[in-house]
Amino acid sequence: MPTLTIDGRQIDSPDGSTVIQAAETLGIFIPRYCYHPGLSIAGNCRICLIEVEKNPKLQIACNTPVADGMVVHTSSVKADEGRRAVLEFLLANHPLDCPVCDQSGECDLQNFYMNFGLYDPRFREQKIKKKKAVAVGPHVMLDQERCILCSRCVRFTDEISKTGEFGIFNRGDRAEVGLYPGQQLDNPYSGNVVDICPVGALTDRDFRFKARVWYLSSAPTVCNGCAQGCNVDVHYVLDRPHLNDGARILRVKPRYNADVNQWWMCDEGRYGFGWIDKGRLTKVRRQGAGATWEQAVAGITEELTKVGERDPERGTCLRLGVIASPQLTNEELFLIREIFQRALGARVTASVPMPAGNSDNFLIRADKNPNTHGAALIGLTDATAPDAAAIVAETLEGQLDALWVFGYDLTKLVADEDLQRLSRSLRLFVFSGTNDNPTAGCSHWALPTAAYLEKEGTFVNAHGRVQRIGRAFPPLSDSREDWRVLLEIAGRLNLGFAWRSPEEIFQALARSVTPFAGLTYERIGLHGASLMTDASVAEVAVT
Amino acid sequence: MNLTALEPQALEIIKRYDEPRAAMLPLLWLVQTNVGHIPSEAECWVGGLLGVALSHVREVVSFYSMFRTREAGRHELRVCTSLPCMLRGAGDVLAQIEERLHIRPRETTPDGELTLTEVECLCACEIAPAGQLDEQFVGPLDRTTIDAIESDAVAPYTGSARIDEAHPFVSTDGPVISTRFRNTGGTWWDAYIADGGYVAARKALSSMTSSQIVDEVSKANLRGLGGAGFPTGRKWSFIPKASLKPRYLVVNADEGEPGTFKDRYILERDPHALLEGMIIAAYAIGSHKAYVYIRGEYFRPAERFARAVAEAYERGWLGKNIQGRGFDLDVVIHRGAGAYICGEETALLTSIEGGKGFPKLKPPFPAISGLFQCPTIVNNVETLACVPFILREGADRFAALGTPKQGGTRLFSLCGRVNRPGLYEAPVGITLRELIDRHAQGVRRGHTLKAVIPGGISAKVLTAEEIDVAMDFDSLQAAGTMAGSGGVIVMDDSASMIEALQSAAKFFAHESCGQCSPCREGTGWIHRIMRRIARGEGRLHDLDDLLAIARAMEGKTICVFADAAAWPVQSYITKFRAEFEEHITTRRGAETTHVDEARACPP
Repeated sequence: MPTLTIDGRQIDSPDGSTVIQAAETLGIFIPRYCYHPGLSIAGNCRICLIEVEKNPKLQIACNTPVADGMVVHTSSVKADEGRRAVLEFLLANHPLDCPVCDQSGECDLQNFYMNFGLYDPRFREQKIKKKKAVAVGPHVMLDQERCILCSRCVRFTDEISKTGEFGIFNRGDRAEVGLYPGQQLDNPYSGNVVDICPVGALTDRDFRFKARVWYLSSAPTVCNGCAQGCNVDVHYVLDRPHLNDGARILRVKPRYNADVNQWWMCDEGRYGFGWIDKGRLTKVRRQGAGATWEQAVAGITEELTKVGERDPERGTCLRLGVIASPQLTNEELFLIREIFQRALGARVTASVPMPAGNSDNFLIRADKNPNTHGAALIGLTDATAPDAAAIVAETLEGQLDALWVFGYDLTKLVADEDLQRLSRSLRLFVFSGTNDNPTAGCSHWALPTAAYLEKEGTFVNAHGRVQRIGRAFPPLSDSREDWRVLLEIAGRLNLGFAWRSPEEIFQALARSVTPFAGLTYERIGLHGASLMTDASVAEVAVT
Repeated sequence: MNLTALEPQALEIIKRYDEPRAAMLPLLWLVQTNVGHIPSEAECWVGGLLGVALSHVREVVSFYSMFRTREAGRHELRVCTSLPCMLRGAGDVLAQIEERLHIRPRETTPDGELTLTEVECLCACEIAPAGQLDEQFVGPLDRTTIDAIESDAVAPYTGSARIDEAHPFVSTDGPVISTRFRNTGGTWWDAYIADGGYVAARKALSSMTSSQIVDEVSKANLRGLGGAGFPTGRKWSFIPKASLKPRYLVVNADEGEPGTFKDRYILERDPHALLEGMIIAAYAIGSHKAYVYIRGEYFRPAERFARAVAEAYERGWLGKNIQGRGFDLDVVIHRGAGAYICGEETALLTSIEGGKGFPKLKPPFPAISGLFQCPTIVNNVETLACVPFILREGADRFAALGTPKQGGTRLFSLCGRVNRPGLYEAPVGITLRELIDRHAQGVRRGHTLKAVIPGGISAKVLTAEEIDVAMDFDSLQAAGTMAGSGGVIVMDDSASMIEALQSAAKFFAHESCGQCSPCREGTGWIHRIMRRIARGEGRLHDLDDLLAIARAMEGKTICVFADAAAWPVQSYITKFRAEFEEHITTRRGAETTHVDEARACPP
């Protein structure tokens, strides 16, 4: 492994790596526009100029392979001068329309000017006019004047989405980025070009002008749109309700995870957050009328205590069915198993019918639930468990007396009249969920619960990777996390659980469900951890 | 439009290339030749045949200036307004043509006969001010030729026969390259053989090893005559011996450096000399496929070279098992489409591969990973045309013709304000003064020499006092300029350095590929300042700004185009600052009209 010196510090960097990468491991940031670790090297922006001793010309860090004994200066007078010159060229024809540019505040032209530029501009000529505010697809707006022609978007559509929409047409300073006339940027990953555009040339039509980026808060989580579990950051505003009609979430951005989604995410996941701020259940309802959580917990527990007891009128035992959901966290599914299946002997499932969605061989999975794998490991979807349809059928046949549905809308399984009939025949019919639906309307108790962004917990993705979803902000209005509701009921039922938080529930889960063995929230961290495979389980057993 | 009818031809073309995408330029040419322009459905057709996204087909179509997406007249008149032509009155000529035809550049006569196009250097500077009517070079454009063009355009033009071909001075005495230039119609098989043709190639194939050839060429001190002057033998030795990948020989016949027109004469008058040099080079580097990249505007040179290739195939000098020596070589002629940058060796490779002419990042260097990621040697036409002489007459004889570090003679293109523009073969150690005074017969009577660009427009200018310099690579480098492509542009005291620099700036702004930001923005910026100064709207401070911009561009880009664009700025302003300052302070130029530059630099 070659050893080189960067700004006076030595580093061993693997063969074939470049100076920009080696510098990054030392925590030395070299500015870049065209360089992106997920794309091929273009070397065209020239902002990453560095001085390499014994080399008369400045070199670009992104395409300079490390070599043994190489001595690099990233901010010598010469390198700084070169970089400043490049910046001045890049800004020569740039419209400098920052006050009306959505990129302001997260623009690398602004940032690098402040960090490496700060020259007195000399450009006094007429700037070149190009097209502005062109909607190039359903999600992306193009401003050719702001573009610095780094070609990241071109390389993205060539190399990652493999859809080839973008091109750079003409030559010299007439060059402009664009699409073939009549074509649209309408591929399942189009939003990524906005993320990788270092300037305000490609902006997000959905996010445009909703908020200045410096008002945004950010929290790491995992997309719940499918079983891939792409790592994301959710950008939200809580204290400026006049923005965005009071909706808290402004946008979702992919968060780098080498093992899951690298730098990318699909548009379906990116733009699928509307339900978190719209159509939510916000109040506890009993038979359609307002109620409190205390009433609900007391009322529901009272019914649940009767489960398993003989009904004197009918002469049979009272039986409970539970339709859980692969949208719930592992911690919640574990509680459901412990309370309903193990303590109350209920019929429990997390197998809910869901038509297979679109999929590809990149990030988009046909399974649109984020935690199907987790539900299976916890034992709520295995072959012995009934599925939701069976439980509904049993209910309609009168074999079940109480039913708790987590989030799922039963009208996807049965007709409205059957749902009405089911509601009338049950002694207890609880619906807990985030958003209102006909099932909530027919239930005896409708409990507003927290969206995944509003609670702690973990999902297991399709590749057996357990990832934390984090809590971006508190649950909306009166809604509560499912785990909190379940723990409260467990307490009322005197089940003797000592857990007070998802983390503690997870510890119990890890002790109980083998593939999770040895994992903790700390070990899972921000990037997740692979579950035990059969092989590694055996290894643990031996040691 | 029936594109399906073109499909058999298209498939035939695709087969010639190692990768389908490389057939991009020839297929676009096929369409334009048959349809007259490249309509949208043809872009789809080409993209479909080659498996290339439509956006990338459009990238290519929009990059090369000879491709057009809209209908044009039945004929096209290209008028050159680059520096060598400007020095001989191209500005006035273009104005006259506009007036006579009642159209402006990029417009077509109302009868749809003729489209007028203003172009950068056609490399026909020996007949400046030059133009090109469809495939034929015309020049010097004067009242008579314009008359002929006008009458032809008004009464439907029937061909190029009515315009006589000019006969500028061309060396025919050798000793190395020009010996067969007296054959103005081309030196064909029998004549070439009678003159000792293919003796050298036979010697190489039958009695020499690869390393013996490399040694011989090294001993001859042959340097790359495209402009960089790199020792040819050493370049050949860079091909990795152990590589299992195919190796390519690529011939750079994309002559484009303003002031240069030598390769055209080799292609037209002595194509077998190039071909024989190619066979020897290919054998030396172990290549079985050679691509010859001929600039788009060189129609007749390409035809003539193709004829030589056909002759060589017929006579068993190309194809399988050449002359029974077990060596195979195929030659593909690839046509450019109007982009100076493709003369840069890696841009040339990208262009063959079917892309825009973008120079490639180095490392890797072409000898390691060039065309189609395989080891590749790119040589200039003239360089290769010297090789048969070296093997036939001996390296020592070639070396002795030149200086201790550069052997041989070279073809010097002389143009601008000299009495006898033309192509002169001379030993590389000849002085610039001798070339101008003795060969080109000096500047016009009543005028004095003012400035000379010794090696194509990219070279730094020399003043009249600096011309006692030898023309080899090292001497000119020591004099602070470069030998470049051997294109000598002469300016007498009637030339304005402001106009000269403006013309150079226009050229570089038009030809920058736009890949690297300093070049893309810098060339346009310089051009806009120069245009303003030329219009009489300059400020004294502009001169320092220009120098600063040029300095900021230097050495910061993928290729040396940006440096080449910076050097004229630096040398003209430094050496003629008083003239620039006087022009600015007297606001001269405010009243003169200039050629339309909107093309190079839209407002």
